[in-house]
Amino acid sequence: MKRHKKTGPNYNRYGWAFIAMAFLLYLLFTIYPAVESLALAFQSMEGGKYTFVGLKNFKRMFGDAVFLQSLKNTFLYMVIQVPIMLMLALILAVLLNSRFLKWKGFFRTSIFLPCVTSLVAYSILFKMMFSLDGIINQVLMRLGILEQPFQFLQNSTWARAVIIIAMLWRWTGYNVIFYLSALQNIPKETFEAAKVDGANAAQTLFRVTIPQLKPIVLLTAIMSTNGTLQLFDETMNITQGGPANSTLTVSHYIYNQSFVYAPNFGYASAISYMVVFLMIILAIIQFSVAGKEG
Amino acid sequence: MKRKLTATITAAALALTMLTGCGNSGNAPQETNEPAAQQETTQDTASEETEAPAAPAQDGEAKTITVWAWDDNFNVAVMKEAARVYGETHPEANVNVDVVSLSKEDVYVKLQTALAGGGNGLPDIVLLEDYVSGKYLNTFPGSFADLTDKFDYSQYLSFKVDAVSQDGKTYALPFDTGATALYYRLDLIEQAGYTEEDMQDLTWDEFIEIGKDVTEKTGVQMIVEIANNKTTLVRAMMQSCGLWYFDKDGNINIKNNEALKASFDIILKMKEAGILYEAESTEGRAGALNNGTVASVVNAPWFISSIRQAEDQKGLWRAARIPRISTLDSSINASNVGGSSWYVLENSPVKDEAIAFLQGVWEGNTDFYDTIMRNQGAMGSYIPAYDTGVYEEEDEFFGGQKLNGLFAEVLPDVIPVNYGGYVAEANDAITTALANLFEGKVSIDEALEQAEAQLANQLGR
Repeated sequence: MKRHKKTGPNYNRYGWAFIAMAFLLYLLFTIYPAVESLALAFQSMEGGKYTFVGLKNFKRMFGDAVFLQSLKNTFLYMVIQVPIMLMLALILAVLLNSRFLKWKGFFRTSIFLPCVTSLVAYSILFKMMFSLDGIINQVLMRLGILEQPFQFLQNSTWARAVIIIAMLWRWTGYNVIFYLSALQNIPKETFEAAKVDGANAAQTLFRVTIPQLKPIVLLTAIMSTNGTLQLFDETMNITQGGPANSTLTVSHYIYNQSFVYAPNFGYASAISYMVVFLMIILAIIQFSVAGKEG
Repeated sequence: MKRKLTATITAAALALTMLTGCGNSGNAPQETNEPAAQQETTQDTASEETEAPAAPAQDGEAKTITVWAWDDNFNVAVMKEAARVYGETHPEANVNVDVVSLSKEDVYVKLQTALAGGGNGLPDIVLLEDYVSGKYLNTFPGSFADLTDKFDYSQYLSFKVDAVSQDGKTYALPFDTGATALYYRLDLIEQAGYTEEDMQDLTWDEFIEIGKDVTEKTGVQMIVEIANNKTTLVRAMMQSCGLWYFDKDGNINIKNNEALKASFDIILKMKEAGILYEAESTEGRAGALNNGTVASVVNAPWFISSIRQAEDQKGLWRAARIPRISTLDSSINASNVGGSSWYVLENSPVKDEAIAFLQGVWEGNTDFYDTIMRNQGAMGSYIPAYDTGVYEEEDEFFGGQKLNGLFAEVLPDVIPVNYGGYVAEANDAITTALANLFEGKVSIDEALEQAEAQLANQLGR
């Protein structure tokens, strides 16, 4: 009791007062909508009124070819883009951390810079770059690789590739920062010990550096997975989900269900909760792959 | 403590008002401030924020009617003109008309969100395409004012009135029509050895043959369509046969739709003949026309404003009736794409004023219809306005052709169809099917089957 009193009689009350505002807003704008949308997932609107339909919205998903296509696309982005990005980020971080590198500040800034651009702005930029009269087509034609401009965004494979390239540009630097800070927290002694034991650079990287980065690798992997599952701005602005829904993501489909098509907020909420469910499963898998200490 | 609590509450209240304030004034930066129609813009916004719906408007203070529309060169400009005319002819009404220019997608998204969310932040008058009319009337019954007794609907084109009516009630004032024409570059056609005469009452097969010659001899592709949304052509061809994505009873009609099948076939032939230019966006389409990389386009009257942007092409353009489908006897050289109507929101605090405004300008005032036809190419639905001199006027950009007269001639031929309200959904299904067809993944029949399945699932049928 006495120890408690030392912190002041009003300590708890002040504490609560300080977080009350933030917590209230959090309740109002995060918890309440989340609960409400869960309820919405079991309802369907007809003639302006919501009626309880049980699991109908969830059953509908499995017969919805467009939803399954969007799920497939999203996983495709995840399986291809996330590993490439994390690998690239790791390599860049190790390079940036190297003792021999000059102008570190300059390189760090340039690599991080894409992260401060707005999602919509950079998406539109990529759309312009890969458009018919865009810079990519012009360069390829100047170099004689292409004779006629190529419709990158009208070919399902290339449209997906453009989305992945855009995301790599935008998000790699973000992950580099995480790895860089983690690298700097690795005790120098471990490297010295490796050197004494006669390990070469590759051995040091794979046996010393990466194992010690494991928690951060896990963190970035989970964050990137979540980010990819919520991918929206890029596909919305670069391809509008086309051609033939080949770049449509789940989030984009949720948007279409709510705002483009006849408003179907019940079904859209159900899909949202499906995404939540998938994220939890993926996180569990990643935790178990990363091992207990992760 | 008590004082702090009150302070917190005040702060919270302030924060909330700021948030709601944002919701209202969010439109402000997008408003186009053309002084002509928007009298006292600054006062508009100011009064909007202070005007609580419950507070009775004081006598003498002008009420504001907020209108949402989406094209600065077209319906926004038209509504501003209407506001100007209303101010002149009905000074006693004492209203400000605030025309908010959004993108079409934003109009739908904002309207849908506001209606679903209980009705905050709605405009008083909103423009909706006839294609989506059924969707909004079905999904949000009671949200739009019943205008059945407010206008003399016998004076408006019947297919336009049908499109905005449901269960015997009419919910909107019909605005523009989409009487479809084929706009083409006469100079390029002539270089390929054809004349203006050859472009009249074509079939699509003949059109493709001409197109091949044009592309071969001039290097310019014959016709433009937007790559990821080729449905303008599809819809024009389909309605030229009196068929639609939905039948008269609103049932999906895609798989066994002869007109759709024929239109897929024609578009595929265009692509294979190398005469189809696939633009990447609406801007890309306008750009291709303006810089002369494409020789023709099929669209509605309002599209002319995009063609007119290229002043160096003045006199080179001509318009003709659209081609028909040779394999179907029901197909005629006339169709309709798009068209929209004005809706009044049922719960608007200025509902009566909004209706009075629409009545005051849009019914009886043929001079107004002449002005918007001349300036914006807006072909209204008000039948008495079709007798005026504006339809005899010659258009210099189209080499002195009586362009408005052509639309007036096409319009009575258009076969009315039941749009069914879910055109956005159907367009998406058709776009996907066409993309798969173009990539050679499916046959026409398979593509249509997929589209029907996708649409049926989408509509929960």
